[in-house]
Amino acid sequence: MDDQGCPRCKTTKYRNPSLKLMVNVCGHTLCENCVEMLFVRGSGNCVQCDTPLRKSNFRVQLFEDPTVDKEVEIRKKVLKIYNKRDFDFPSLREYNDYLEQIEDIVFNLTNNIDVENTKQRMEQYQRENRDIIQRNKVKLTREQEELEELLLLEQQGNEQRRLEALQEEQRQLQAKRKNKQALLDELEQSQLPATILLAQHKARAAQLETEIEHQKQSVKPTSLFSTGIQQNQMVSLQPVPRIEEVLYQYRPLKVYTYGPPVPELEQLGRLGYLNHVRAAQPQDTAGGYTTALACHRAIQDAFSGLFSL
Amino acid sequence: MFHSSSHKTYWIFKSEDELELLRCEANQKFCKKIMETPGVSDSIFLKRHEEDVLFRLYEKRLLDFCNVFKPAMPKSVVGTALMYFRRFYLNNSVMEYHPRIILTCAYLSCKVDEFNVSSSQFVANLVHETPAGQERVAEQILEYELLLIQQLNFHLVVHTPYRPMEGLLIDLKTRYPTLENPESLRKNVDDFLTQASLTDIGLLFTPSQIALTAILSSASRAGLNMEYITECLGLKQDKQNLSKMYDSMRMKILMKKYELPNPDEVNVYKQKLERIHAEFVTSSSKRKRGYEEDGHVAKEPRIIEEELSDEDLM
Repeated sequence: MDDQGCPRCKTTKYRNPSLKLMVNVCGHTLCENCVEMLFVRGSGNCVQCDTPLRKSNFRVQLFEDPTVDKEVEIRKKVLKIYNKRDFDFPSLREYNDYLEQIEDIVFNLTNNIDVENTKQRMEQYQRENRDIIQRNKVKLTREQEELEELLLLEQQGNEQRRLEALQEEQRQLQAKRKNKQALLDELEQSQLPATILLAQHKARAAQLETEIEHQKQSVKPTSLFSTGIQQNQMVSLQPVPRIEEVLYQYRPLKVYTYGPPVPELEQLGRLGYLNHVRAAQPQDTAGGYTTALACHRAIQDAFSGLFSL
Repeated sequence: MFHSSSHKTYWIFKSEDELELLRCEANQKFCKKIMETPGVSDSIFLKRHEEDVLFRLYEKRLLDFCNVFKPAMPKSVVGTALMYFRRFYLNNSVMEYHPRIILTCAYLSCKVDEFNVSSSQFVANLVHETPAGQERVAEQILEYELLLIQQLNFHLVVHTPYRPMEGLLIDLKTRYPTLENPESLRKNVDDFLTQASLTDIGLLFTPSQIALTAILSSASRAGLNMEYITECLGLKQDKQNLSKMYDSMRMKILMKKYELPNPDEVNVYKQKLERIHAEFVTSSSKRKRGYEEDGHVAKEPRIIEEELSDEDLM
């Protein structure tokens, strides 16, 4: 994408990061420095389209595409005149047509199509509907004021709460300090031993602390979420019923072989059993067979059931 | 793990009497069932002891069949097959199901004990049969298979005493070096275990007890004095378990009782058996055929009429 830059001095955002581009009603950009230089007398012509411009109409370019800025400007102007609202029309259809008309005008002006005719249409409309426009304007401003008032109120409330919290903190701090001071005084003047005084102080400090805690707790937590949903609402969050079960305990398998004990598989070699059996050939071991396996099985079978009956 | 097996839980019995009782019940049950049809005389049935002779005959045949089996059958497979046969006739009479079920016992034990033999390979061991006859036998084997599994109550894993025997030998070599050449005992031990598998010992004692007794008896026959039990198994203090173990040694007495069936007797009883099967079990097979027509069983029954003769097995 092309880097944004001033068409006159060719400075770009890349070369001068603090570059400020300005737009006027024609939708062509100029950097701040050029604006200052070219419009020293307050008015002049656009460098690109020669439209007469005023310095005071320059705005900081907000959008990458300057035509968007231009459109925003135009729309603002048009809406000042075309300020009817839906309840000024007998039917929705007519209101929609009216909105369509506005869009047409904005589009024409932005893209320089049939500018003269459009402007004439606007003037004619203004003349015909002067009363309504005036009335709506008043109404709009009143509404605006109300909204602003509301905002102001909210701001004030916030400020007040903040102050209160601050005061509260201050008070608590002061109380603590006073308590400390009292202790020092007592230590200085009283006849009682220091340990008792210290104990008293501690008790008082603890009391103070609990009082503060109480106060903090007494501040009711709001019962509403910011979305307006009640807190502590039962949303079928029933706890899953717990099933109490006794933990499984492993017990080693006990097999009664009805015979003398059989040596473990691992011990066979050490006990010398493997010297008396045919050793496994390499090809036998492929499947996991070992000499001890067969030997163990034979001895197992030999001892199993010797005592039964 | 024998101590947690179905073998220990369901197939180890307290005494010989208990076994005898079960077999008598099976015999009685069958007789009662046949007696319901009128005009049957009591005399045609096999008595308990006659049943027993036939049982031993077929058991011996099963053992012989397994011993000449190709590829050579591992001992544990043979032991399992013999045990299946024994368990099957504990609750069933020879008269109800023909003892030719021995082939099915062998076939099933091959499968269960992971001795991989295909059914055609299996019946190829019946050398006296024509290929067509072998096929017939194969079908017959499969026919009995589900019945056998069901009668075994689906307890298919049998713990034979062979692995315990190996384990005891390893333990002997490790912990009882006083014995100079334990491998010399092996032959007698094997004979003992084979002999034991032809008796009820497998239903009365645990495989480890059988293996231990086999080793001890083999040692004593070789004139070796074995202090192994008291020395190494740590039973010096444990009098109770020691006495229990010595008690299990009475299986030797049981083994001595075993005798091969007398050929003359055998011929008489076998004729009896064949008559019973020809008369009553065919009728039951006819019933079965009707049942199959209902579409419950897909296989074509091809039994009874052209049964393989017993000589085929030998």
